[in-house]
Amino acid sequence: MIKNYLKVAWRNLIKDRTNTSLNIIGLSTAFAVAILLGMAALYQLSFDNFHENGASIYKIVRTQQTPKGPDAGTSQPAPLAPALEAEVPGVKQITRYLQDGTLAFYNDKEVDMDIVWVDQDFFSMFSFPISNGNETEPLNDLNGVVLTKKAADKLFGSTDIIGKTVNLLVNGTQKPFTVSAITDDIVPQSTLEFEIAARFESHWEYFENKEEWDSQYHNVYVELEDGVTAAAFENSSRSFVDLHYNEGIEMLKRDGASPDSHGRFMDLKLVPMADVHFTSLKNGTVQISRSMPYLILGVAFLILFIACVNYINMSIAKSAKRLKEIGMRKTLGAQKKQLFFQFWSESLFVFAVSIGIGVLLSLVFLNEFKTMFNTHISAEMLWNPIAIISLLGMMLTISMLVGGYPAMLMSRLGTIQSLKGKLESTGSNTVRDVLMVFQFGIAILLIIGTLVLWGQIEYMRNKDLGYDKEQVVSFPLNGKRNSNDVVDLLRDELRGNPDIISVSGADSNLGLGKDGSRSSSKIGFEYKGRVVRSNFLVVDHEYIKTLGLELVAGRDFESAADSLGVVINESMAKELAEEDPLTAQLEIEDGVYYPILGVLKDYNFNDLDKAIEPITFFMSRDWGLTYAYVKVAPNNMAASYDVLERTWKKLEPNATFLGSFLDENVDRTFKREKTTAKMITSGSLIAIVLSCMGLFAMSLLIVSQRTKEIGIRKVVGASVTSITYILTKDFLKLVMLAFLIASPIAWFVMRQWLQNYAYRIDLGAGFFFAAGAIAITIALLTIGTRTIKAARANPVKSLRND
Amino acid sequence: MLLQLKNIFKWVNSGGQRVFLLKDINLEVEEGEFISVMGPSGSGKSTLLNVIGMLDTFDEGEYNFLDESVHTLKEKHRSNLYKEYIGFVFQSYHLLDDLTVQENLEMPLLYKKFKGSERKAMVADMLDRFNIVGKKDLFPAQLSGGQQQLVGVARALIANPKLILADEPTGNLNSQQSEEIMELFKKLNQEEGVTIIQVTHSEKNAAYGSRIINLLDGRKV
Repeated sequence: MIKNYLKVAWRNLIKDRTNTSLNIIGLSTAFAVAILLGMAALYQLSFDNFHENGASIYKIVRTQQTPKGPDAGTSQPAPLAPALEAEVPGVKQITRYLQDGTLAFYNDKEVDMDIVWVDQDFFSMFSFPISNGNETEPLNDLNGVVLTKKAADKLFGSTDIIGKTVNLLVNGTQKPFTVSAITDDIVPQSTLEFEIAARFESHWEYFENKEEWDSQYHNVYVELEDGVTAAAFENSSRSFVDLHYNEGIEMLKRDGASPDSHGRFMDLKLVPMADVHFTSLKNGTVQISRSMPYLILGVAFLILFIACVNYINMSIAKSAKRLKEIGMRKTLGAQKKQLFFQFWSESLFVFAVSIGIGVLLSLVFLNEFKTMFNTHISAEMLWNPIAIISLLGMMLTISMLVGGYPAMLMSRLGTIQSLKGKLESTGSNTVRDVLMVFQFGIAILLIIGTLVLWGQIEYMRNKDLGYDKEQVVSFPLNGKRNSNDVVDLLRDELRGNPDIISVSGADSNLGLGKDGSRSSSKIGFEYKGRVVRSNFLVVDHEYIKTLGLELVAGRDFESAADSLGVVINESMAKELAEEDPLTAQLEIEDGVYYPILGVLKDYNFNDLDKAIEPITFFMSRDWGLTYAYVKVAPNNMAASYDVLERTWKKLEPNATFLGSFLDENVDRTFKREKTTAKMITSGSLIAIVLSCMGLFAMSLLIVSQRTKEIGIRKVVGASVTSITYILTKDFLKLVMLAFLIASPIAWFVMRQWLQNYAYRIDLGAGFFFAAGAIAITIALLTIGTRTIKAARANPVKSLRND
Repeated sequence: MLLQLKNIFKWVNSGGQRVFLLKDINLEVEEGEFISVMGPSGSGKSTLLNVIGMLDTFDEGEYNFLDESVHTLKEKHRSNLYKEYIGFVFQSYHLLDDLTVQENLEMPLLYKKFKGSERKAMVADMLDRFNIVGKKDLFPAQLSGGQQQLVGVARALIANPKLILADEPTGNLNSQQSEEIMELFKKLNQEEGVTIIQVTHSEKNAAYGSRIINLLDGRKV
């Protein structure tokens, strides 16, 4: 019996080649896309879930209620971790975590490395398997360091290096450490990344900050004892917070902050390890959002849905051709069940082939997909039993749902009715129309999403940020020389070059540079009886000139003597609420008053999702710089870049030059948006192509079903235009309806998304009309060719068939 | 007795009015009969045949087939009943275009769950009997109308039914072809004792039967 089914199925599919190939092409594309997107989403969702103790590990966030609203931060003071362990019950293990870059030296080799400074518990808390060396307590010695395999290869050229000495550049001087263990390379789904791990106590800032609760510069991860919940721990940490942060809490109260719903001004909150990757501290609260991976999954499902709708619609439309077969089989004794099974097995066949091709396609395009969307998925994700079983399950379920519906319709038909070859078509047409509206609705939704996303990205790229981003190159000071000295040297070297306009430095980058690291510092100090908070930036001479910032009052730093003054921005001036901010003196350190030298026009030093915050510039050589900024002349920019690279090589022969123009840096900060936009764009392209394939097949069938009608109309005297209009009208109505349904949904979703940005485009009607116009034009083109051909055909031919 | 119809009514509602397709039909058919149903277009001939073949339902009355009361059976039992005992022959043959002659003949056997070897033997036997062995791998479209109907009859006969229902079996054939088919029916009826009920317009074909039933507007006359 099954053989017979397959035979009939096969012959049917072969006979109707156009439809079958349209179906298989559509479904395989959809499956390939869905598989790739699904893998990307699952990859995202699997972040940090490789830690064996992950369920009881948390990152500590400190939240506080400031007069301006809630504030949250992951930076903690050095004494917090030991104090928590000693005073609050429930801590099993705890580690501080300070990420940094360093230079590692071995023999003549000098390599830039990512280092983390952590506590002894680090390797017993987190699952970074030790492959070589001290497995139990790799960091029990203060001078011990752990290297990843890759780092060991990079520096030593081998992994057989236990007990060897490596020198690390610590605060400008080389310090020897002993390699105590080698870990496996860190999987890409890890938030915690490092090449070298060293003891927190060996960090140069540890000694001065050991007892300093005000200086917050690292993260803390805690593993709770079995049976202790995060909520219980947060509760029992309250009196601890009240005790240790007493001073800060009193200041918050004094400045007029209002407590949260629990009557608290300051709290420690635990973010589960599994959520850390998805956590943002927007608006001062801890927000965990997995919307990105789910959005990707959603797009994958939408595309599958569209392809499935095509399949359903084509099967239903095609069933008219098979009525005779259905009737005949029934007279020969076929039961509903058997007919259902027959038609379903045909679908199963098509789906099996499509999934097979889909898997192949996804493997073929895997590498393109990886580079295009910056994801680290691999083919191995498909070859595990769970993936294979779920693919098979998906195939059965989808073919059951998608193939089952037409199969059910067909098996239900009355014997006589189907033998006569007539179909009561009213019911199934509604289903078809609803499905097509859905399909086009999704396509239009995705088009609008694409347009708005790119609109916002273009807006952010082109927005005037208040500083010169086109002509300025920034690069990390990643060599061994003292940072201020090296900027001075650089300035001397480049002096006299007509293409170099000015050279300066600062302790943080603008945008995201090639080194991929970002940092920001904040300070809070007392001013006239209340706490004022500001961003904190250490700059070198000519920073304002180099970046083309505009002074609205006062002056720039002029000489070394100005190192006791500050330059602030307008937001900071507003914060101080002085009529003439130039008269204010800021008591940054106890007893040291910094006069305000100048006020800058506000500029966007943060990403555009944030409004401009107060910022204060300092020009002290005590704090060091981390980035150099060089303004070049607008002509010969590429040549100037090469000059910079050569000069840097000369000054720091072992360091890599990681310079990039600030506009590139700014572009890098919305890499995530670009990836999303690319994904949605390709999603909507595929959605449109698939929808149109469905529409095309549909128009073929409708035209062939209505051949007689067209013939009669022509004989009676209808023109080609009016017939084309009649044939097109029904479909266009559906597309219009889809547009009307999709637009409000798109408006709502995109408005929500744009709320994430402090600087955003207006969600004008233009986006919607453009999307509607695109959809309608494409639909028209798809149906048009066929219908015009049908309308122009000689009526005698179409009527002769009867 | 093979089957018995008692006071069968069948109607459709059209524009608020009942239009009767069959009106008070009483009919008894003995095994071995060859009945011709005649009447003008729209008199209910095909409807009667479909009701007898259990392909169509009726609204009132009783229908007994081999001591089973068809009107009380569920669809599944009904289809078991007719696939066991009834073979159908249609005016337009209704062979499946996608299957070869051989496969078309095999199909009823598939629904009766015969084993593969049995099926082969029965199909081979039937091909032999109808002299169409040479055509077994052709598709219906490659055969003439007469040949197609021959296959149609062979298919109806393959599972040894007690009753053959033929709805204008020669309607699409030329006179020579129809004579061949009618001779075949006669032979089946006389030599093998198969009961046949045929619907026909032609007096000549009706004459092959042992009894003629005339219908007019759904009534027996």
